[in-house]
Parts: sequence; C-alpha cells; structure tokens
Amino acid sequence: MRASRALIYVAAGLLSALFLFPLYTLILIAFQPPKYTLIPTYPPLVPKELTLANLVAALSGTAFIDPFLKSVETATLVGLITLALAIPAGYGLSRLPSRLSYPVLVLILLTNIMPGVIIGIPIAVQFIRAGLYETVVGLALAQTLVTLPLATLILQGTFSAIPRDLEHQAMIDGANLFNRLRYVLLPNSAPGIAAAYLISWMFSWDEFTYAILLMPYHSTLPVTIYTDITRGNLLAGAAFSVVFTVPVIILTYGLQRYLKGQYISGGLKGAA
Amino acid sequence: MRRDELRFFLLVVPALAYIAFFVVYPAFRAVYLSFVLPNGRFSLYYYKFLEAVGLGEAVVDTIIVTVGALAVQLALALAVASLLTKEFKGKRAVSTIMITPMGVATVVAAVTFSFIFEVTGGYANSILHLFGLRGINWYANDAMSLLVVILSDAWKNTPIVALILLAGMTAIPQDLYYAAAVDGAGPIRRFFYITLPNLREFIAIALIIRGVQEFNIFALPLILIGYHPPLLTTLIYELYTTSFPDVGPSLATATILLVFILAFLVLILRVRGR
Repeated sequence: MRASRALIYVAAGLLSALFLFPLYTLILIAFQPPKYTLIPTYPPLVPKELTLANLVAALSGTAFIDPFLKSVETATLVGLITLALAIPAGYGLSRLPSRLSYPVLVLILLTNIMPGVIIGIPIAVQFIRAGLYETVVGLALAQTLVTLPLATLILQGTFSAIPRDLEHQAMIDGANLFNRLRYVLLPNSAPGIAAAYLISWMFSWDEFTYAILLMPYHSTLPVTIYTDITRGNLLAGAAFSVVFTVPVIILTYGLQRYLKGQYISGGLKGAA
Repeated sequence: MRRDELRFFLLVVPALAYIAFFVVYPAFRAVYLSFVLPNGRFSLYYYKFLEAVGLGEAVVDTIIVTVGALAVQLALALAVASLLTKEFKGKRAVSTIMITPMGVATVVAAVTFSFIFEVTGGYANSILHLFGLRGINWYANDAMSLLVVILSDAWKNTPIVALILLAGMTAIPQDLYYAAAVDGAGPIRRFFYITLPNLREFIAIALIIRGVQEFNIFALPLILIGYHPPLLTTLIYELYTTSFPDVGPSLATATILLVFILAFLVLILRVRGR
C-alpha cells in the first residue's frame, strides 16, 4: 500500500508539471530579456533576469488596445445573443416531455459538429453582401454558433432544477408568464445564467476560426497574436498571449463547477 | 403536440431558426456552390485540380493527426482520470491544475508550443540538453511536423477527455472493485476487466466529441506548421485566401472534409452499436 501511495504522488506531480510547463515557458519568454529566451540555442529553464520591458513595449500604443477592445465588444455581445436564444430555449426544453426535448437538444448539439472553416466561408460571402463583414455584430452572430449548444444545455439543467410547484403556486396567485419569469424563474436560475454568460464570453474571447474568416483585417486579439507571430513580432506575441490568457484562466478556475464531464457529454449520453 | 407543449416549443423556435440560418443553410450552400460555376452551370471543375494542390496529402495527414491525437489524448486522459478517482492530499489542487489548458486559447497554446519546439531557443531542446542529449530539429520532416501538432493538441484537449472519462469512472460501482480485489485481481487486471469495459459508452462520447474536432483542427496547425504539410482545414483556408473571391476551390475541399466527418460519425456509431 505504501508503494502505491508513492506512485500516486509521483503521477500527480508529473501530470501537474506536464499541464503547467507550457504556460511556464510562455511566462519565461514574456518576462525575460530575449538573450535568455529566444536567442540561446538552449534557453535556461529557470528565470535569470526578470523585466517588464517586453510587456510595456507591446502594450503601449494602439497595437494592443484596438484588438483588445474588439475582443471585449465581441465577447460581450456574444454573451448577450447567446442568453437571448438560450434562456427561452433552455426553459422551453426543461418543460417539454423528453420525447420532444431530446431530439431538439441533439439537433442543437449537432451544430458543434459543423466545422467553422466550412460554414465560415459561405457566411463570409453572405456577410459581404449584407454589410456585416468586418463588423462586431457579424462576428458575434457567427461565434454564437460555438456557445449556443453548451449554454442551452446548462440552462436546461438549471431550469429543470426549479420545482414546477413553485411556478404553479405563482400561477395560482395570478402571476402571468412575464411575472413568473421575473419573480420566480430568473432569481432561482441566476447562477446558471451567469455561468452560461461567462462561458459564452470565454469561448468568444478564445475564438479564432470565425474571427479570421469574418474579420481578417482589424480583428480580435487571437487573430492579432497570429499575425504578430507570422510577421516575426515574437516578443509582442508572447506578451499579448500572457495578458490575454490571465482573465481566461481565472474564469476557468472560477467556473470549474460547470466544466464537468456530465455537462460536456450530457446531451450525447445515450443518444450517441 | 398538446397546447401547453406547443407553447413551450415556441420558446425553442428562435434558437432553432438561428441554427437553420447559420448552420444548415450555409452548409448546404457550401456543398452547392462547390458544384456550380460562376456562370451557373453544374460542373466538377473545382474538384478536378484539387489533386494538383495537394488534396491527397491533406487527406492522409488529416487522418494521421486525428488518429494520433485521439490515441495520445485517450491514453493521457485515462491516466489523469484514474489518478483523480483516488483520494490523496492535494487532489483538489491537481484537478484545478489539470483544467488549466481549457483556459488557454487555442491560439495561445499554438504560440506557446511554437516557442517550445523552436529549433533555436526552444524549450523542448533545453530539456533534452538537461539530460545530456543534443537538440532536435522538430520540423525535420513531415512526420515530425505532424507529431508536433499532435502533441500540442493533446496538451490543449486532454482535460476535456479526462473530464468525460472521470464522469464515467465515478459512475462505476465501487463494489465491483472490492469484489474483484477479494477474488485476487490486481490493479492492472481490474483496470482491463472492470474500468475499461464500463467506460465504453464514455470513451465513445469522448471519441465523437474530440474526433470531429480533430478533423476540424485549424488554428493549431496554421500557427505551428503553416500550410505544409497540408491538412484539409489549412488547405481550405489557403485556397480561400489565394483564390478569393472565387470560393469554389476551397468549398470543394470543404465538401470533402464534410464527407470525412460524416463517415467518421457513422463509423463510430456503428462500432458502438455492436
């Protein structure tokens, strides 16, 4: 038994190191002068000299602020569009019998199967005609494709957990759908709605494929990082990456409860 | 459908309309436009010269990356999930650390791994150096380049697979393990005779979710290896940017990718159905 204990700790240590190492190297590059990172054949694995110079150089000027604002605007809008579609859908699905809700849910989840590179191109062609190409609204409409399935699933779960008796009681007291929504459903589902919003925000913040197809020129941060790297602005790319990643890591840790296997696979279990 | 059911169904309609407009219609349009010339005539023209731009290679490479990435992710995820079913000090910290890659954007992951696998100034070579080995050119040939993509993708996506498998493992009744242990089965036999068979459903789900995403893998190879060796997605993007506004060639490649994804789904569902 002692030996297996030791084995568990060795495995835990190794796997943790494996998951953290890439971020560690990114931090080494972002916070050290290049003579300790990009230039030597074998860059040292421990920090030698810390500096904020790379970060300051990359973040001053408009090179960072414009794409940063684009990303914030798009992600905020994606969260709102997603909720506008997923709150009614999640509520409706939670009150429908499973013979009806199940196929609909599977259909919504199937949207994730369609690759962005495939449908992004016809969408780009349509957007050019409709004047939505290179706009935040257009990109947000497309990115909602990535967020809608998981948000619907989370909200369906949230609303299912609210007892129907509570709603019946309100109905007997004379509350119409709007008042039931306002006084019964929304207060009781606030955590689920917040989680769905934040997850949508995060997915949009990270999204690359639709962003590069629908907003290639003055784009969001992921596309900007990509162009920086391909043009050889490696230090700027690394610095942007660190700044870009910090809020998402914090969000991810905060939302850990909702990033469960049951949620990710939930709708597919049994249907697959 | 009863009347109250209809009321609830109406609430789902906006989401369904959105999907029809932004998924179903563009998908059909992509397939349709790949067979139609600008003058409106049906033709296989766009498919004819795909071979010359590397379609065959892209298909083979896409399959290699998909199979390789799935294998690495499943193996790693089984290890992570097995570990997290055990009770030990610091388990919460480990499970938090484990989901770190989910908070790292694909683009950032790709950029980070491009630094790690750099030929000069790369941290993978630094580690080799630590053990007294010489640095490697990680992009020496196509196979190595694809391996770099597979490993980077495995880091980014193992957590999702691990979470799914963990959900499956915690659903296996502990009594099965006690009974097997009493009968004298060691940990390895218990893994192969209890854990794996009971996980079949969850492995299938993980394979479906990840497998489809592997076929669609785009940002990672684009940043790590560019257009060579080509994958179906990077080929689509290359054709799109080089021949725009003529989207025919890229959509013909996109249609082929779509066929592969559908074939993969049918394959998994049939294997599982047995």
